[in-house]
Amino acid sequence: MIETIATADSNRELAPGYRLLTLDLKEDVPVRAGQFAMLKPHASLEPLLRRALAVYRVHSPRRISFLYQVLGRGTEALARVENGGAVEALLPLGNSWPDAIGANQRVIVVAGGIGSASVFMLCEKLASTGVDTQLLFGARSEPTAIGCGLEDFRALGLPLTLTTDDGSLGEQGFVTGALERELLRSGRPRSTIYACGPWVMMKRVAEIAVQFEARCFVSLEAPMGCGFGVCVGCVVAVKTRGTNEYGSYKRVCTDGSIFPAESIRWEVDPIAH
Amino acid sequence: MADGTNNDPRLAVEISGIRFNNPVIGASGTFGYGLEFADLIDLNRLGGFATKGLSARPLPGNPPPRIVETHGGMLNAIGLQNIGARAFVEEKLPLLARYDTRIIANVFGYSDDEYIEAITILNDGDGIAAYELNISCPNVKEGGIVIGNSPTAAARLTEKAKLASSRPLIVKLSPNVTDIAILARAIVDAGADCISLINTIVGMSIDVNTRKPRLSYGTGGLSGPAIRPIAVRMVHEVARAVDVPLIGIGGIASAADALEFIIAGATAIQIGTANYYDPTVTMKVIDGLTAHCESHHIATIKGLIGSLE
Repeated sequence: MIETIATADSNRELAPGYRLLTLDLKEDVPVRAGQFAMLKPHASLEPLLRRALAVYRVHSPRRISFLYQVLGRGTEALARVENGGAVEALLPLGNSWPDAIGANQRVIVVAGGIGSASVFMLCEKLASTGVDTQLLFGARSEPTAIGCGLEDFRALGLPLTLTTDDGSLGEQGFVTGALERELLRSGRPRSTIYACGPWVMMKRVAEIAVQFEARCFVSLEAPMGCGFGVCVGCVVAVKTRGTNEYGSYKRVCTDGSIFPAESIRWEVDPIAH
Repeated sequence: MADGTNNDPRLAVEISGIRFNNPVIGASGTFGYGLEFADLIDLNRLGGFATKGLSARPLPGNPPPRIVETHGGMLNAIGLQNIGARAFVEEKLPLLARYDTRIIANVFGYSDDEYIEAITILNDGDGIAAYELNISCPNVKEGGIVIGNSPTAAARLTEKAKLASSRPLIVKLSPNVTDIAILARAIVDAGADCISLINTIVGMSIDVNTRKPRLSYGTGGLSGPAIRPIAVRMVHEVARAVDVPLIGIGGIASAADALEFIIAGATAIQIGTANYYDPTVTMKVIDGLTAHCESHHIATIKGLIGSLE
């Protein structure tokens, strides 16, 4: 974990509301697939808190990119960072995607919307190691698919199924439908599913994983104060023996952000309630 | 980063016989159990830190969402999630023994008996410099703020805690009262060695689309730069009302912020929310206080305490 002031090399719009920020770091930072950073423009107190963004790509140990959707005050402030601008960064944070285990292991990666940012490095790794992988990529529409890095994913050469809510690109429908069809088609007894996307999507992915007896890991997000475990603001409810009606909690920042899907109490949404 | 050997003697302060290398203390609830910062700052340079509120038994805290950012601050309703006093004594204190910093154990309970039980457990721990009685957390339905709003209840608990405690007792005040000086006098009369203030201010944020509160608990505690002027005013009021050392808390993020509290009457200060958005802020404030002493030819920062003209 390194606290640093990085320099923005570029910060460009990929599609309306979706941007790619590339930072140059002053020192080597080893980042594993699925990890994240806490970022905010340097010396700005509006907003006050840094924002958690998944590391999208590592170009070199000193040069990394973040794919992000401009959603609120924090990401709006990041969107205003110009080339050469200074960004306060704390990284790398969180755990990483666990390896698929077992002979004849097959992998399905489910990327929902901007959740694609968390799985790109995982897909790079899978593509380079030759693991039998299916990539299911879901977005609201053609522009959002482009904004969520579709071309980068395509360039990896993995078998890819694309869904859009409005049918403007790929199949019309939700990516969870594609997941069910994929599991039905292949009858994969030893599939490992890796998913990142909206809570409601991952909740459904977790249900499908149970139905098909597949291992499933999800990368979660939650409002974070610090990103390194002290504020306890980003918790999710987990299915361990607890002392109140909500069970026990785990911190998304330091206990995750990646969790086994079956460990999560999906009825307790950490963002909406 | 400097090491423990270069502490500036001009910054040293004393509270109830405890020497702090400097007046910069990490605030309870924003500093975990200290160890979380070990990779980010030199804990040996820190004046001290207050632990997350410790209860006799572990507490799970409130359901999410627990935090929401506001302009110049944030609201939290963590609900005092903590590992419990026993686990702190057995698992955290031995790891903290290698650091030369003052550890203040923040204590919480849902009843007087639970506070005393937590203190009794913590009395077994080595390396705790003082207790900080949390009678002011707005994010639990019992204990906390109920006690903190009543001078009678606060004084009763302070008296019991003082009797049970083997260490100096700091009492942390709630700002959510009509007259904080009345509360402070009641607590000092009951035996408190020191007062820390302020805790967070009860606030609320509403999602206009869902028409629900943004926090699952409904209300939360407002912290951050937005509350600093209120905290400075309250430290000033309490400094005029009582004759024990004060620790100022509320939106401090720079040496200048810290100096406002010291000039208003605080012997030391605690840094809270700024630790989230700048994990190295405590070191920057210490450096800034040294620079201030140099540029203003100040022999000791103690001379600034309560120096408001």
